[in-house]
Amino acid sequence: MKLDWRQSILYIAVLGMEGCWLYVLLSLLNTKAAGGHLAVPGVLLLYPVAFIFNWLLRRLRWPRACLWSVSWLAWAVSMLLMIKVQVFGHLPLSDPAWLLSIPQSITQVIYTFRPELLILLSTGVLWWLGQRLARLRLNFSALVSEFQFGLPILVFIFLIAPPLEVTLDNTVLITLTFFLFALLGISVAHALEGTSWLSGLNQGHWGGLLLFSISLILILGLLVSVVITPELLQFVVEAARWVCGLIAKAIAFIISLFPEPEPPSIGPLPGESVPPPPEEPDWAELLRMPEAVRSGLRIGWTVMVVGFLLFALWRVSSEIFRWLRRRLAGMSGAEFETLPGAFTTDLLNLLKRILQKLLKLRLPGLGTRAKHVLPEIDSVRQIYRRLLSWAAAGGFPRHSSQTPHEYYYALAGVLPEAQDDLGLITQQYIRTRYGMWLPTEDELDQLRHSWRRLRQNHLKNRRQI
Amino acid sequence: MREAAKKDVSQQIKEAAGKLVGNVSKVIVGKKEAIELVLVALLCEGHVLIEDVPGIGKTMLAKAVAKSLDCRFRRIQSTPDLLPSDVTGIHYFNQKTSGFEFRPGPIMANVVLVDEINRATPRTQSCMLEAMQEQQVTVDLETMPLPRPFLVIATQNPIELEGTFPLPEAQLDRFLLRVSLGYPSEDEEGTILSRFQQENPLDSLTSVLEAAELLELQKLCHQVYVEESVRKYVTAITRATRGHDGIRLGASPRASLGLYLASQALAAIRGRNYVMPDDVKYLAAPVLAHRLISKTEARLKGRSLEAIVGEVVSGVPVPVEEQP
Repeated sequence: MKLDWRQSILYIAVLGMEGCWLYVLLSLLNTKAAGGHLAVPGVLLLYPVAFIFNWLLRRLRWPRACLWSVSWLAWAVSMLLMIKVQVFGHLPLSDPAWLLSIPQSITQVIYTFRPELLILLSTGVLWWLGQRLARLRLNFSALVSEFQFGLPILVFIFLIAPPLEVTLDNTVLITLTFFLFALLGISVAHALEGTSWLSGLNQGHWGGLLLFSISLILILGLLVSVVITPELLQFVVEAARWVCGLIAKAIAFIISLFPEPEPPSIGPLPGESVPPPPEEPDWAELLRMPEAVRSGLRIGWTVMVVGFLLFALWRVSSEIFRWLRRRLAGMSGAEFETLPGAFTTDLLNLLKRILQKLLKLRLPGLGTRAKHVLPEIDSVRQIYRRLLSWAAAGGFPRHSSQTPHEYYYALAGVLPEAQDDLGLITQQYIRTRYGMWLPTEDELDQLRHSWRRLRQNHLKNRRQI
Repeated sequence: MREAAKKDVSQQIKEAAGKLVGNVSKVIVGKKEAIELVLVALLCEGHVLIEDVPGIGKTMLAKAVAKSLDCRFRRIQSTPDLLPSDVTGIHYFNQKTSGFEFRPGPIMANVVLVDEINRATPRTQSCMLEAMQEQQVTVDLETMPLPRPFLVIATQNPIELEGTFPLPEAQLDRFLLRVSLGYPSEDEEGTILSRFQQENPLDSLTSVLEAAELLELQKLCHQVYVEESVRKYVTAITRATRGHDGIRLGASPRASLGLYLASQALAAIRGRNYVMPDDVKYLAAPVLAHRLISKTEARLKGRSLEAIVGEVVSGVPVPVEEQP
């Protein structure tokens, strides 16, 4: 199988996976918001169209703003066509009523949700997804992420459909199709990276082994679908509700333990005699706390209780994972990889990113003191940052463990004609960044010229030499 | 700025390094990288362990380096019956003067070649610990400083295990670098034959660097600039070895210091007055690999320590601009 074919399979797999959960989501929205008037497969068809259109568009070496404008212009045309065909098929094309219905649907959104608005929103999302897929570099981790992202959405929609009184058709078929595309994509991506057993001695039987494995898993999936019936799922949902209710009761009980804030005292009515205040012993005076202290304690207590609950949840989930790992370890021929600390690392990375975003907002009290960097040095570093961004957009991002020199050799292999400019920018950056070297005005001019020349090149569709 | 002020420093070291590498290359064909690494150790006042199969030129390299320096050179041929006093020296009774006199051992030299170090017993190996780390020896409660510069070049053969004593971790940690020469290429092997046809080029080798010059260069090396993020990169690499799944014993703080100093020396040899992450990456395996102890699973899977260091390095982010 040729490399291009494998890449095509990856694109088809992602289209398929996303198509499955998009179909279910659109079906749900169609039933609830559009009264089932729309033909969901027709709307969904826009997704592959958007992908192919944007993919072809990116092959044209146009400026980015131009590409963006043409792409979204095409979306507007397709969206209008979709509304005309799906909702106003009976009206002639020259009738402006169907065109006017779109702004009307937007202005009336607080009163009613009309099918035109659903088409407007869904086609926008589909077009964006197609655009994103066209510029996405598909590899093993991207496919796994697609699977990890798609599966919870699919499960979530399946779970919320019964409470919303929506009957989804072909759920088993959709689930199996989702898994088919996921397994296909993940296994092909794994084999493409050369780490799979399919890329070893068994390379000759690549297609056969892949088909056999996928068929076996799908048959098992079908068997599972026979066992897991809607009644069973309903039971699981009921059980989950019961557990949630129990937790809610527990929380309500904990809240009831806090003393209610005292109502503001109203003065005595005219003519009413004021009852003498009850005499309190001296020790009660000592125990009385100011309101500020009480509020602080209340917050502390709540934080502690929530912390305990989270800790309990974490313990339960980690025990479940441990049990699963033990079960897997006991299975003959099964291989599993533990990722100790992966969750903590992911969580810390997430928090770090949030903090970085907040710091960028320069909120009062959160802002950091900017490092004093000379303008000449800053210019060189800025140009290198742009180079990184430009190369990453072209599909050649820098690996975090690559040094500027290593990255230069990687890029020079892709763009041999721009080797000199790349070399100059890299060299200037290295000297500035690590050697605290101050460039002269002439050198800065030369650097800017190199950058301008370099950015004229297109990295897209280039291959490593 | 900084560059202009330090231009002479890096150029001075580069010139001296060029002379030394050129001189050693008269004897050792190819292997410029190995010679450069030995030079790095020389400039950091570190010690080198040359480990490879027999007949590769380990001893020849050590002798050529020693002869290129106008320093006092001594050789210790390690055998199982070698005693610590044979290395450090002894106090003997002089009947003429009716008093005890100290006869210095071969360790009292500027360049000491310890051949086949793993053939010496652990007791004898251990007597070199003080000398290698503190540049002094203690004999009969008397501490004597060693001449400066002081460099130990040890060789060992990793294949033969019979009659050998593996070096303890404390000893290995005292070597700044472990260097492997590897087999020469076909052309290089041909050049060796023609070069050694008439006479041994080692015999006609002359010194190109004096001890005082070397000491001066060692001092200059410390002036090579290390940017803060590069310094953090050095510590990040050594710290990453301590948590790696294939490593039982990670690198020590001495290893961090060694990597830091070696990077400075390498940058200077290559004519730069600042250290780049490439220098650190290049030196990570020679500086760290011999100090680590891999886990049994890793050894059974055939993962070499150099490969594990490579994995560690590829997992540590290099300090470069963040992508906007």
